[in-house]
Amino acid sequence: MSVLELRDVTKTYGGVTALDSIDLTVEAGTFHCLVGPNGSGKTTLFRTVLGLTRPTSGSVSLPEGRVGCGFQRANVYRELTVGENLSVFGELMGATDDEWRDELVTTLRLDRVMDRTAADLSGGFAKKLDLALALLDKPDVLFLDEPLGDLDDVSKTCLLDFLGEYRDAGNAIVVSTHHLTDFDSLVDHLTVLYDGDIVVDADRQELDFDGHDSLQELYVDRVLSLERADEPEP
Amino acid sequence: MKVLSLLRKEVLWSRHRVVALLFLLLVLPGCFAFTTVAFETAVPEDAPIAIVPENENVSEDGLAIIEGGAALFSDPKRYEEKSEAMRALRRESVYAVLEVPPGILNENTENATFSLYIDGSVVPFQEPSKAIESIVTLRMNENLPANVSVERQVVGNHSTFSEYLVPVFLMGFVLLFAFTYLPHHLAREADVLERLLVETSMDAVVATKILFMTALMLGPISAFYAVSTYLGYSVTLLTPAVVGIYLLTFVYMAAISTSVMILTDFSRLGRFLNVAIMLTFFTFSSVVHPVGFFSPLRKEIARQLPLHYSMIVARGLSLKELGIGLFADWILGLLGFTLVTLVVLKLSIERYKRTA
Repeated sequence: MSVLELRDVTKTYGGVTALDSIDLTVEAGTFHCLVGPNGSGKTTLFRTVLGLTRPTSGSVSLPEGRVGCGFQRANVYRELTVGENLSVFGELMGATDDEWRDELVTTLRLDRVMDRTAADLSGGFAKKLDLALALLDKPDVLFLDEPLGDLDDVSKTCLLDFLGEYRDAGNAIVVSTHHLTDFDSLVDHLTVLYDGDIVVDADRQELDFDGHDSLQELYVDRVLSLERADEPEP
Repeated sequence: MKVLSLLRKEVLWSRHRVVALLFLLLVLPGCFAFTTVAFETAVPEDAPIAIVPENENVSEDGLAIIEGGAALFSDPKRYEEKSEAMRALRRESVYAVLEVPPGILNENTENATFSLYIDGSVVPFQEPSKAIESIVTLRMNENLPANVSVERQVVGNHSTFSEYLVPVFLMGFVLLFAFTYLPHHLAREADVLERLLVETSMDAVVATKILFMTALMLGPISAFYAVSTYLGYSVTLLTPAVVGIYLLTFVYMAAISTSVMILTDFSRLGRFLNVAIMLTFFTFSSVVHPVGFFSPLRKEIARQLPLHYSMIVARGLSLKELGIGLFADWILGLLGFTLVTLVVLKLSIERYKRTA
């Protein structure tokens, strides 16, 4: 069952095309990885899906269920404490499950900074708070932009385990990242963006590894070959 | 040398902030310099004054001569009825009413007594009105056959300059809050705007912010009330009408500053622009001095600005204890202006959504 569909989505900024006739489907209960080099259109696609950017043309069918989002730069109230941020956004989202909130706080190891203002948090803790807010309403579809940025190795491992369990519970997770390696074990579906176009869009088992040992190798090789093709002939 | 390296860094930094620096160092100072054209004189040569006949026996020629004479030190306005002129005085449409007695051109008239009415709460006009009394007496005795005297009468509440400044400073604070603190708060909100926009709408975020900040304005109004009561001032602040006019003023100011912030993507430029707008409003609305004190140009500008009317209404209600009905047309105008600023705010939100 698809929880998100983009049909022929184009986004231009002035004369620059950030997304060029994108078609994309996200299925429930999958870990969907959106990867691409800098400037490939990942952030624009991410913002378009969340309704933060209007597509120039095309349609986005947003999921009917609950949506959660984690941002590359922590989107939190810096003047409020961690606890207050959770409380304010919980109320805004209508998230009332205190047990779930406590579980998130424990999983993301935020319990010891609950009374600290977000402005005083390290980059890693701010990121964890942002992730907690993304998950607060037990979303059916979770969008995460570079979720592992600033996290220490222990927190990364805990979070990846948690995301795996969350996916297995039937929720869709869409992760936008530059660093595919970290997510290799979780990825069910891979979408590679290059220069505003989708150049790879397939389930893991359908991917032609063609001698590559990992998703990372496959992705890098594909991007490099596209870059070589784009270079003007001498 | 480290200093040279650091200076080079400053130059590089400046290149990245060239628009903001051009605005701050050239455009804004240029605007400040340009505003000096609006200050031509330091005495009230162009303050509007009502000329009104004492009764129906006053001749048209007599009124015309007085009007011509008064033009030397004021901007005379002819009124047919004293009640109309006094209403204009209370609304600060004029700052004095000169009542002309009958028979001033008649050779047989021995004594002619003019009445000069001024409002006791418009304190900055008290001293100039004494000068006007002397000038009228001198000029009319030179040009009229009768022995002319002028009776200066202060009507309404007699305020001190300290009392006069209470509603002025409070209005200044409302202005400061709307154009500096609110934009600062909105800029901080930008840190979390993406999440907010996913969970709710920009309209809701902005409406809540303005509503909350408007409610906060009750704080300074109460503080001004407490201090002025402690100092024994005769100023009315905590009435629905007075509170209402300050809150209404805050709402349209807040709508303007918020629109600027949204249209500039919550940037520093938006904050600079808001400060510039605040200074423009404060300088040109004749908030402290009566219009016509500095130049006819500045008078015309003040009469076009909503803050000018907000200030007169606030002063009328808090110092003169006048009924709100006296200002009904202006309050309706201010409500209309507020509506326009809210529409502009809504349009700026729509533009933000479209261009996101």
